[in-house]
Amino acid sequence: MASLISCPHCGVRPREEFTIRGDASLTRPAADAGGDAWYEYIYLRDNPRGRHKEYWHHSSGCRRWLIVERDTVTHAVHTVCDAALAKLGGAA
Amino acid sequence: MSERPEHKPALAGKATTEGSGIRLEPLPEGHLLHVMGAFDGDTLAESLTAAGLAKSAIQRAGYQQWYVTGDEILPPAQIALLADHLRGKGFVCDQSHGRIRIALSGFRALELLSQGTAVDLDPAAFPVGHSAVTLFGHISVQLTRTHATRFEFAALRSFAENLYDMLEHAALASA
Ligand SMILES: [Zn+2]
Repeated sequence: MASLISCPHCGVRPREEFTIRGDASLTRPAADAGGDAWYEYIYLRDNPRGRHKEYWHHSSGCRRWLIVERDTVTHAVHTVCDAALAKLGGAA
Repeated sequence: MSERPEHKPALAGKATTEGSGIRLEPLPEGHLLHVMGAFDGDTLAESLTAAGLAKSAIQRAGYQQWYVTGDEILPPAQIALLADHLRGKGFVCDQSHGRIRIALSGFRALELLSQGTAVDLDPAAFPVGHSAVTLFGHISVQLTRTHATRFEFAALRSFAENLYDMLEHAALASA
């Protein structure tokens, strides 16, 4: 697990300041998508080896949601960006 | 007898603690306004001046968020005046009752702070005026450098006494 995360708003911080939500590549199914799709979205997870994008919340810092791209083998952090701004097409 | 709750300072029972090279003091429960908006710190400073709050300090508290702090208790009308100046751009939320400020100073302040927070406090990375939301131990705090060897904490009211005790313990242990 990465021990230091470089928050785009706060700078380098220890992972104790963050809460991890998990896979950032999941897409929420439509409300009427059916039981199987919802079951998969809520419970079934891959356990990827290598580069992986996750949602991290800077809960004890700026309280922004971030997307952290890290390597599950080497623990290297490749990119960190603000999740909401990325969705809006901004940089940050 | 009034049925309205009476305001009692959270650190009323705490005295200033002084050790060698360290000084810890509860700050007056004056004002602490949480400001949110899609503007920059300069715009906020202009609005503060327009609302007669030029003396208040501005601390960055995350993306598009700031705390405006000072020792004076503000009348509601003055807070409303600031809200008027920011109307359409941002919002003001009075948190004077909700967050408590503590000052830590002296040449050993840095050493004591490094026991509780992982933020890089080197003057090059954390100059005077710089502010960060971080953890001190397990308590979420806003930490600001007000002078080379003076720092200010702002913590949630219910955590203030615990934080103060922790700092006091560390200050006396290092004396
Ligand atoms: Zn942050």
